[in-house]
Amino acid sequence: MSEPLILLRDIKKVFVVGKISYEVLKGVNLEVFAGDFLAIMGPSGGGKSTLLYILGLLDKPTSGSYLFEGREVSTLSEAEMAHLRNQKIGFIFQAFHLVPWATALENVLLPTLYRGSITEKDVKRASLLLDRLGLQNKQNLKPAELSGGEQQRVAIARALINQPSLLLADEPTGNLDSKSSQEVVKILKELNEEGLTIILVTHDPEVAKSAKKVKFLKDGVFVEE
Amino acid sequence: MKLKLKLLFGALLHKKLRLLLSLIGIIIGVSALLIMNSFGESAKVKTLAEIETFGPDLFMVISGSARVMAGRAMQTEQMTTLKVEDAQAIRNLPGVKNISPVYTGQTVVRGEGVNLITTVNGVNEEYVAMRNYPLLEGRNFSREEIQTLSKVVILGYKIKSQVFGEKSAVGEKVLVSKLPFTVIGVLAPIGVDASGQDQDDQVLVPYTTAMSALFNVDYLTGIFIKAESTSTLPYLVKQVEELLIKRHKVDPKRKDFSILKAEDLVQAKEQTTRTFSSLVASVSILCLIVGALGVAGIMTLSVNERTKEIGLRLALGAQRRDIFMQFLIESLFITLAGGLIGILLGLILVFILLPAFNYPLIVPVKPVLVSSFLTIIIGLFAGVYPAYRATKIDPAILLKSG
Repeated sequence: MSEPLILLRDIKKVFVVGKISYEVLKGVNLEVFAGDFLAIMGPSGGGKSTLLYILGLLDKPTSGSYLFEGREVSTLSEAEMAHLRNQKIGFIFQAFHLVPWATALENVLLPTLYRGSITEKDVKRASLLLDRLGLQNKQNLKPAELSGGEQQRVAIARALINQPSLLLADEPTGNLDSKSSQEVVKILKELNEEGLTIILVTHDPEVAKSAKKVKFLKDGVFVEE
Repeated sequence: MKLKLKLLFGALLHKKLRLLLSLIGIIIGVSALLIMNSFGESAKVKTLAEIETFGPDLFMVISGSARVMAGRAMQTEQMTTLKVEDAQAIRNLPGVKNISPVYTGQTVVRGEGVNLITTVNGVNEEYVAMRNYPLLEGRNFSREEIQTLSKVVILGYKIKSQVFGEKSAVGEKVLVSKLPFTVIGVLAPIGVDASGQDQDDQVLVPYTTAMSALFNVDYLTGIFIKAESTSTLPYLVKQVEELLIKRHKVDPKRKDFSILKAEDLVQAKEQTTRTFSSLVASVSILCLIVGALGVAGIMTLSVNERTKEIGLRLALGAQRRDIFMQFLIESLFITLAGGLIGILLGLILVFILLPAFNYPLIVPVKPVLVSSFLTIIIGLFAGVYPAYRATKIDPAILLKSG
């Protein structure tokens, strides 16, 4: 078997607030291979967010080892982590987080800003991504002029613009009606079939069903259902 | 490139009214600073011009004691001891090029049905040349007219304009203190001299006529003296002072006359200008500080409102230094926009106010440079704190799941 895309060994995360410290992750082990589609479920406060945050290279674990594409994350500088987030990881969020003053197309192009210059090729690619996600006529609309489902599709296009190897989705259907939810789930499934690795955090068992694997995080550790 | 700028700074124009409000402090501060500096620059030019108008090699003896107040020579007490004979004695001193006895009074000039209260200066035939007065039309007094107490008058430009308008005044009659005088000349526009007198708002008559026919006195209010050169002027001033002390038999500490040079007048005026300038400078610096705090406040507010956007940019691959630069540049942009508007507004006001206050119109290059430079400094100053705050945002705020 090839080397895993993600390898977590005994990941712990402790938050210190004043004199009290909270151990949110208590030794998480995880292997994710290229092409996997993993859903993480579990109760609120179980540490799903924190785990996603560490997986997305937005924070470092307090202890334990995290290998991303074989590189030990704890040894990376801030600039290297930013570069990996930009190049290798796409994020989608429950609240979409589109910038309100930019058009759909401009929102999709936002990640290329931190890669260097924005080329004609990027604009074309962004446009194709929006076409593919069924937004061909809405590229120049502002987020406020789009429905929730459309906004999330713009966010997905934004996550894909730099051709990442990992897509992290945090409750992507949490703010959507069931029809839009199904659309988004269908898109994620298609992307996975094309080879994109996806890790999804969700409360919704229906959404989790579309993943190839489901894991439960409770009190800071993965548990059997 | 355009897209890149839009994605970096699109938020700036998102709330236009707020942008404008945050600019106001900067606009007022910068324009006030610019106007103040321009007045300062213009005042320097004006001062030099006034010394030229007065004549750098010219000085005057004033009867009684005079003080220089706010740049104007104020006669604080009238004496009757300065006589025509004093002027004749001074003429015999070495180093005197020209001399003119002067009797100055206020009178009513009437002509063509117009009544004007103005200054009448009784002088001799040398005075016009001494003061470098250019004649618009007509001629100067002749020596004979001075000796024969002729009723002839040279009109200042404003007087001529108000009485006769555009048409020629030479040969016309005007009433000076109800006595008929013949206009023999008109002065070209001159402006205000170093003593603060508007040289266009006066009429000149022979001093002999002024003393006898108009005011019925046997003394002078002053004597104008022109030295042979600017370098011998201080020596000559001393000679004149000693001569008059001797002739009037007065205590050197309690003289019955004063001597004023262009330099004295200008020095006093510069003092006033400086005091005024530093006052306005403090006010505009205060405005700019308030403006800077305004920008800093608006930017801090903007950072607080845009925590999600900042977190998102971090998640999408921005480094904290990118975020810092973005917000610093936004502050700088706001301040520069304010500065630019302030400079334009200031320039407009400068071009209106300078002529309105009789200041020479100058293009304020140095004030514009100073204002621009200060604006950049303020922009950086105002931007550092909000930009620093922006880098402290935790991207965790993006995540919603428990």
